[in-house]
Amino acid sequence: MDDVIYRASDVALGYGSHAILRGVSLEIRSGQFWSFLGPNGSGKTTLLRGFLGELKARAGTLEAPPPIDGVAPVGFVPQRCEINPTLPITLDEFVGLGLVGTRLNKAARRERLAWVLETLWLPALARQSYWTLSGGQRQRALIARALVRRPRVLVMDEPTNNLDLVAESVVLKALTDFLIQHQAACLFVTHDLALAERYATHVGLVAEGGVMAGARADVLTRANLEPLYGRALRVPTDAAPDEPSLPPDAGEGA
Amino acid sequence: MIAAFLDSWALFHDAYLAGWLIGVLLSLVGVFVVARDQIFIGAAVSQASLFGIAVGIWSGSMLGAGGWWDSELFHAVMGGLCAVLAAFVTARAAHRGGRETPEAVTGWVFLVSTSGSILLMSHNRLGMEEINRLLSSTIIGAHRQDVWMFLVLTALTVLLLSFKYRSVVLIALEPDMARVAGLRVGLWNGLLSAWLGIVIGFAIHVSGVVYAFASLVLPALIAKNLGRTARSLFFLAPCISLATGVVAFILANRYDFPPGQTAAACLCGLLVCAWLLLAVRPR
Repeated sequence: MDDVIYRASDVALGYGSHAILRGVSLEIRSGQFWSFLGPNGSGKTTLLRGFLGELKARAGTLEAPPPIDGVAPVGFVPQRCEINPTLPITLDEFVGLGLVGTRLNKAARRERLAWVLETLWLPALARQSYWTLSGGQRQRALIARALVRRPRVLVMDEPTNNLDLVAESVVLKALTDFLIQHQAACLFVTHDLALAERYATHVGLVAEGGVMAGARADVLTRANLEPLYGRALRVPTDAAPDEPSLPPDAGEGA
Repeated sequence: MIAAFLDSWALFHDAYLAGWLIGVLLSLVGVFVVARDQIFIGAAVSQASLFGIAVGIWSGSMLGAGGWWDSELFHAVMGGLCAVLAAFVTARAAHRGGRETPEAVTGWVFLVSTSGSILLMSHNRLGMEEINRLLSSTIIGAHRQDVWMFLVLTALTVLLLSFKYRSVVLIALEPDMARVAGLRVGLWNGLLSAWLGIVIGFAIHVSGVVYAFASLVLPALIAKNLGRTARSLFFLAPCISLATGVVAFILANRYDFPPGQTAAACLCGLLVCAWLLLAVRPR
């Protein structure tokens, strides 16, 4: 069972005396792409905060990946950047902050930075102020900052917000390539059913204080989604059983 | 003008050196405060230090003259302790959230410190003179041991930044990200708050509130407007502070102005210039 990254057993999460989620049980393994879907306020971000260790389990057990050689194995993409917007910071400085806590020498840091900027189509903007970038470019910078650590697990809270179709394709191609090459896992909160249908190997539906989790084909069904959102939905066509869920060429030529 | 300043060197060199070192030290710490957009915390911590000094003087007067409690060192330590406490309280309010906004807690600390220090000294003429001296800022009374103390504090700050620059920047900018990166954010915040309190507490005892608060926030604010990278702030802010300090002390000596206020006024003028420059320069 070495490839288990997170193991939640009957976990409850919440704030103060108020429990948001109860009875959460799931296992997240290397190479899996998890999409977490649910209406606003259902507890998706609370669940991510639990995985990130910001919230302690109020009940049950939540096993998180241990540090590897003293380095935290998690990369995180928040919904938005909380940095003081009047502070000057260049894109490469911003992305380089993702390397805090790693034990790389200067050359390795440079190599990592060059790789991630190239991967996310950002090298031309490296010396530009972060605050002059467009919303989509900033979003890619946030993802680059998480990816530059080459983490064992990527935790992402609506990371494709603000991205146009081409940028979304570039980002998801980079992500899926990374997951395949490094056998990492991805926890991806989104409201985009089509995106979950196309990329996820596993899905967690967050609603009514719980999480329905499992393989995408088992969970992402009309029968599960319509009660979740309280209305009729056009569920994306189910993928054929032998269809690869991680597209090998997403964003090619974009 | 410069010759007159050099003539005064023999008499005031400890005061000048202490003033410049305080400027460099506080400007480095100030980058952290400005990066977190917690400028008012700097004001509250400064006032809390003043309150601590008032508590020290009041305690001394209650316990009687001649003991260890009736010394400048005791007053400085009390100022430092109150500043550390205020830094903890305000930093905790800023990061933990709660029923009140961080601004409300910081405002409370500022006001209780300001009013408390005056109330404690209201029936103590000598104590009130000391509080007024610190409020009006004067560095002329600085001693040789103050120079050494601020040299050591500055060296320790530079060492910390040399080895832990990225960690300090990430904790200043995004504590949640720092936590995910495996940093012990609570411990770091505690240490940085303690450092802020210690540095401000001792600086205020030597230079007064105006010079200390000006040195804490203005060089970092000027650097923020001139610099293009976060890293450059840690170089620009102390350079601005030192250069302004030299010019201000020469002017103060020539025109017989109080040096602390002269430096603060020069820094305020420079900040306006930086704003004007930023308005005409694309970022």
